[in-house]
Amino acid sequence: MPPLLVINPHNGVPAYRQLMDQIKFQIATGVLPAGTELASTRALSAELTLNPMTISKAYGLLERDGVLERRRGQTLVVRARPAGAAATDKHAHLREHLAHAATMAGQLGISRTQALKLFRETLDASTP
Amino acid sequence: MTSAPPAKAHPVAAAFTADRLTKIFPGHTALDDVTLAIPAGHVVGLLGRNGAGKTTLLHLAAGLALPTSGACHTLGCRTDRLDSPELTRLGLVMQEAKFIEWMTVAQHLDFTASFYPQWDRDLQRRLAELLEVPGKRKIAELSTGDRQKVAILLGVCHRPALLLLDEPMSSLDPIVRARMLDVLLERLRDDGCTVVISSHLLSDIEKIVDWIIALDAGRVTEDSALDELQESFAEWTVTAADARPLPAFAAPFILAQQRSDRLARLTVRTRAPAAAEEFAAAHGVAVQTRRLSLDEMFPLLLGAQGPAR
Repeated sequence: MPPLLVINPHNGVPAYRQLMDQIKFQIATGVLPAGTELASTRALSAELTLNPMTISKAYGLLERDGVLERRRGQTLVVRARPAGAAATDKHAHLREHLAHAATMAGQLGISRTQALKLFRETLDASTP
Repeated sequence: MTSAPPAKAHPVAAAFTADRLTKIFPGHTALDDVTLAIPAGHVVGLLGRNGAGKTTLLHLAAGLALPTSGACHTLGCRTDRLDSPELTRLGLVMQEAKFIEWMTVAQHLDFTASFYPQWDRDLQRRLAELLEVPGKRKIAELSTGDRQKVAILLGVCHRPALLLLDEPMSSLDPIVRARMLDVLLERLRDDGCTVVISSHLLSDIEKIVDWIIALDAGRVTEDSALDELQESFAEWTVTAADARPLPAFAAPFILAQQRSDRLARLTVRTRAPAAAEEFAAAHGVAVQTRRLSLDEMFPLLLGAQGPAR
């Protein structure tokens, strides 16, 4: 697996959590299709200069959540998701980011209508 | 210790345990009734201000000093009885390491290697190159940074099961520090060794430690997984949802607050997943949360034990 993973050890978000989020994001966006093999704990630990326990923890939780599955031997692969699940995953990701924006809108005293308009404009600006 | 949170279950055997450990030097109590267990296979960051007792704890663990009262076990053996089977599996990188000053670095490595049947020559060669250790120079002529590198080589090339490091990186430049972290991680992957590292360079060790023990004035003030600390501490930026000024907030999980009429910054410690949402709803305010880095947590880990989680 090309890692494309960047862990910021200083932002206070536990490294295992950052790993899980990024792997889920890559699955949701199709960068990691079902059946893709993940780097071994050892290899990823060397690649990212991370404690191997951190990586085992992230992998273990992703396996528990049904995102990854263990094939015969030790190889971890991306598990196939049921048809509707991909969309749900994507929505969950966006919702998380929007929650921050929603709180920020409230703190700035921006009205719902105005906030929705801003989001629409931002979408227009960022979509080619 | 009596004020400690309920003992956490350590799934694996402990590499080091302290049981009511006290060390008193004339006129000074360095460790005061310390009870803890360092689980095998973990990388423990030992934090504390100068004089908090970190070095004393590492000395006691290595058997370099004996406790005034209480007991400690290293690799399963009482530290007043440590002998070859344990000592050859113990790696020490101490501040102001004692060297044989007239030897060259290469001679010193050969000399130390002769005490360890399992000394790994390949590892030594690789690390000497990676850390840019000047093999031909005499120890007496080395800079502080180069002495530190030699101390690291002498501490890890016998592939210890328990590695105790006291401020091992304070004199290294950032490039070598990064390589040093790689070296430690490689030892973890290859040998599954337990590492205890005291350092003031928190942003460096934040990358590799998974457990934090904090000492203050000889007492343990924190003994938790780093993940757990990161998921408990946060800074909340609280703003009023309407024109009314913000009240003073009181809750057991609020450790500190700064506030004006319209804005408050709270430092909190809570593991409840919806704590911010519930707080916002209960007080009619908006809350943005931000996680804290180890540097920011540091002073909070030294105070009184945090409130109930």
